[in-house]
Amino acid sequence: MKAPVSATGALLIGLILCAFACSTPPVPPEVQQAQGLDEDLRRTGVSFYAPQDYDRFQGRLKDGRDKVAAEKAKFGWFREYTAIQDDFRALMTDGRALLQHIRSSKASKAETFQTRARTLVDRVERIKKMTGFFNESGPVRMNLSRAEIKLAEAGLLLKKEEYETGSRSLAEGEFHVRAAEQAISGVLSRYLESGELAKWKRWAQESIDESRSSGSVVFLVSKLERRLTIYKAGTAVGTFEIGLGRFGLSDKLYSGDEATPEGKYKIVQKFPSSDFYKALLINYPNDEDRKAFVEARAKGLIPGQAGIGGAIEIHGGGKDSLTKGCVGMENKDMDLVYDYARVGTRVTIIGAVSIENTILAEIVKFEK
Amino acid sequence: MKGIKKNVVLVLAIAVVLAACKQPTEQINNVKAAIEGVMKAGADKYAVDEYKKLDGDLKAALDEIAAQDKKFFKKFGTAKEMLAKVLVDADALKAALPAKIEAAKNLAVSLQGEARKGLDAAKALLDKAPKGKGTAKDLEALKGDLTGAETAFADIQKALDGQDYIAAQDKAKSISAAAAKVAEQVQAAIDKVKGVKK
Repeated sequence: MKAPVSATGALLIGLILCAFACSTPPVPPEVQQAQGLDEDLRRTGVSFYAPQDYDRFQGRLKDGRDKVAAEKAKFGWFREYTAIQDDFRALMTDGRALLQHIRSSKASKAETFQTRARTLVDRVERIKKMTGFFNESGPVRMNLSRAEIKLAEAGLLLKKEEYETGSRSLAEGEFHVRAAEQAISGVLSRYLESGELAKWKRWAQESIDESRSSGSVVFLVSKLERRLTIYKAGTAVGTFEIGLGRFGLSDKLYSGDEATPEGKYKIVQKFPSSDFYKALLINYPNDEDRKAFVEARAKGLIPGQAGIGGAIEIHGGGKDSLTKGCVGMENKDMDLVYDYARVGTRVTIIGAVSIENTILAEIVKFEK
Repeated sequence: MKGIKKNVVLVLAIAVVLAACKQPTEQINNVKAAIEGVMKAGADKYAVDEYKKLDGDLKAALDEIAAQDKKFFKKFGTAKEMLAKVLVDADALKAALPAKIEAAKNLAVSLQGEARKGLDAAKALLDKAPKGKGTAKDLEALKGDLTGAETAFADIQKALDGQDYIAAQDKAKSISAAAAKVAEQVQAAIDKVKGVKK
């Protein structure tokens, strides 16, 4: 029986195997691991989050590979990978640190993003709630609506982990919320002026004192709080919710401004039946109003040929209706108010009683 | 003579086996370049799932290479086949991308149309809503909401003009949702007046 391979052949095979397998030092595993790490880096979006660091990493990876190739080109016995292995180990250490940095950075961005979004939602909700208390809400609601749209966009981008683009949407949302806050402050800024507050407080106190000293009935209307309180002999006997016009929080200056006047008035006529259920006509404009009108006209603040206006009433028809400057009430409440009212009954209309009420406290927060 | 021939064949066979043990570095680089190209062409935006699959397939191929690399007798045949498939898939995706981008554009335009319809419907509802007792103030606020959504509508076109069709889709969806919310609230205000119990 003849051997399948001769002795020479066996020797040759042995030599080849020895040359390739036994005496050839293996390529360090770090070379392959670095490749895997490169892939992990790419997947985490390294070129976006740390482009310069990644360029350096890739440069070193390429150098390392070139060195491996150069070693491989040598005859097996002369290959030496020790220095290359050290280089790759250092590269792996740096690469892992970079990977960790990007992951942390992404996690931090996600958290920041979510915190910003939550804050924005809270701000939108808070301002929206406030818009329920006054009617001049058009510009405020417009900006809130835009902010909500931006928030929705940001939410979609968050799902896709597109934090940078999402962050821009949030920034736009924040811009609109700021605009809404400014619009609110614009409408209500005078409610923060200490002079105005002191004046309203004085009027309120004078009216209550008048009621107490004469035993009479006085109606105190606080516009910001949306409240009409009946005082009898200086004691509050009933409080009712009211509605105002579109620009009800402003002080009435001229006909058509849809503002509700502020001042100390009297009921001049009672209407048991009117377009708005029952009505109580007050003596707007009084002397103070006429004076203010003349001054405003001189300053060019009165548009066109607008007059000072009139026919300001407390009437029924519902507190949710937008009046043209009157004080609107629910019919059942109007019944009670109407019964208390006499021609000559004092009606004091003020902006707000005190700074302590919730809405003003919110505004003060904005101002700060 | 016969013995020598046998030896030569054997040596060649061993050489072939050893050659096959080399990592397919060039093929890996080609596949990576192809995936990079596909990404730059917009696959990560317009073919998210397919792009993720390509990425996953490449990772699987590299894992296979890493596994073989640890062995004494390395077999890279399977990895090479996997890489070849990734390359084919990457090329196919790249070829399909223009159509996908066009589809994204068409969808964005369609969503823009839906947003327009939504805004118009909300406006029509708002216009016909009775501004009487109990609604005037609510409707005034909703009018502000709708104005905001209407103003934001122009952003869709801006995104379309900038060829950012996914952003245009997102904007259109958000505006449609805002318009629907306004319409729903207007309807609620109308129902309030009519005394409709829900």
